[in-house]
Amino acid sequence: MEPPKIWREKRQRYLGIGIECKDCSAKTFPYSTHCPKCGGENITEYQISEKGKIVQFSQVYQTAKEMMSNVPYAVGIIELEDGIKVTGQIVDIDYSEIKKDMLVRRVLRIIGKDSKEGLIRYGFKFVPINYSLK
Amino acid sequence: MSNKDVFILGHSLTKFGEFYDKNTGNLAAQALVEVIKSSQLPKDSIQSIYFGSMLTNTNGQPSVGHLSMFESNLQLPFFRIEAGTASGAAAFQQAYLAIKSGLFECIAVVGVENLSDYVKTGTIERILGTTIDYSWEFEMGATLSSLYAIMTKEHMEKYNTTLEQLARIPVKNHKNGTHNKYAQFQKELSLDRFLNAKRIADPIGKFDPATQCDGSGALIIASSDFVLKNLKEKLLPKVIGIGQGSDYLALHHRENLTTLKATKIAAKKAYTMSGINSKDINVAEVHDSYPIGEILAIEDLGFFERGEGGIATETGQTEINAKISINTSGGLKARGDPFGATGIAQIIEIIKQLQGKADKRQVDDVVYGLTQNVSGTGASSYVNIFTQAEVKA
Repeated sequence: MEPPKIWREKRQRYLGIGIECKDCSAKTFPYSTHCPKCGGENITEYQISEKGKIVQFSQVYQTAKEMMSNVPYAVGIIELEDGIKVTGQIVDIDYSEIKKDMLVRRVLRIIGKDSKEGLIRYGFKFVPINYSLK
Repeated sequence: MSNKDVFILGHSLTKFGEFYDKNTGNLAAQALVEVIKSSQLPKDSIQSIYFGSMLTNTNGQPSVGHLSMFESNLQLPFFRIEAGTASGAAAFQQAYLAIKSGLFECIAVVGVENLSDYVKTGTIERILGTTIDYSWEFEMGATLSSLYAIMTKEHMEKYNTTLEQLARIPVKNHKNGTHNKYAQFQKELSLDRFLNAKRIADPIGKFDPATQCDGSGALIIASSDFVLKNLKEKLLPKVIGIGQGSDYLALHHRENLTTLKATKIAAKKAYTMSGINSKDINVAEVHDSYPIGEILAIEDLGFFERGEGGIATETGQTEINAKISINTSGGLKARGDPFGATGIAQIIEIIKQLQGKADKRQVDDVVYGLTQNVSGTGASSYVNIFTQAEVKA
């Protein structure tokens, strides 16, 4: 984990900041200096929707060391209310209970830890709405 | 572009597997020296070398060109092409273009990778993570396996593809691989072995993915003028079509998760250039890094209707000498997957099939052969088509 990368992406990772194009109105994530739809530079910051639904999902047993303390965990493609799609972990639910189209909410969580005393990387994950762990 | 045809004059392959005693330069040199020797060309015939390699930095040294040329006693202009797990096919296509442009008449293409050093938990996943969207897929928690799992689930739900149909792909490829002495695994594996394996990313099982390993392959390609001047052989494998396609790096940006748009684009270009269509292909080497990869490939390349890849596999239509022979070499699954070397090994299998030199894997009456090499979850795809043809001025 490189500190400049974590610093550069902090607003995207902590707040879900993408862009809205003032020319073509496209809303996209992650942040970019040009609109990925029309290529224009006339952009403004935009915070992606907090809520969305699960498009498809799977489970991870092996990953980078910094995230191994969380395995097995669920990961999926989430379609947000504003139409933007992102990839994220689905937490606070048993894997067997996860269903397609389930409603989820974006929350700030620890994603990875370099080592016991190393860097901690934060970012967003998704928790189901109207669901409580049994 | 010039109207000179491009032919393949020679090929060599190292065995694929774990070679801790060799670095990337050693492996590349092994294939390079062998291909020059076997082609029986004067050594100064080779004008340039194109390397296809995704990492090349084992021993902390990225310059695979200088390392392997030192061992091969060559000092030539060289290029290293990186296109993720499809680096081998990308290098081949760049070399083809350099011959077509008239800049070079004869080129060696080397695909190489040395991955065993990295096959430990955490490290290999990170490397595979660089073939997907590293920041917004991998760092968010997804892995290459979990994304292929998502594609697999989508195909299963949309087209009723079953786990058994999926498992028949590695079963078939391992069976084909038993006759390939260059394959990492030359052993049959039963259907139950795949079906009963522990899941590593639901619904993908432990034995489903191809293994990342070490290996190298080399080709010599040249213009028709060069062949006529330097060789007596007048019947050689000819490159008749190439195509490349791109798609979004991140799976979540794509509209459809049950097709690789990049492959469809690449195939369309290659079929148009070669003047043939999917029905003319007799044998194909496709990117089966995961079972769903082969299903998507045989559908996207037009061999089977959309959604019928599973049933086609189950009914044996992709076995040797069936409707179309897919992955006669054993594919990435049995041969092993040293990224850059894979694209070259696929081409070598097609050349052997065209020349009737594939031993027990030989398909009858092969006229056209195709290769498909994919990076990541389908961000890039490269398709090449070959036939055996007469060398004319």
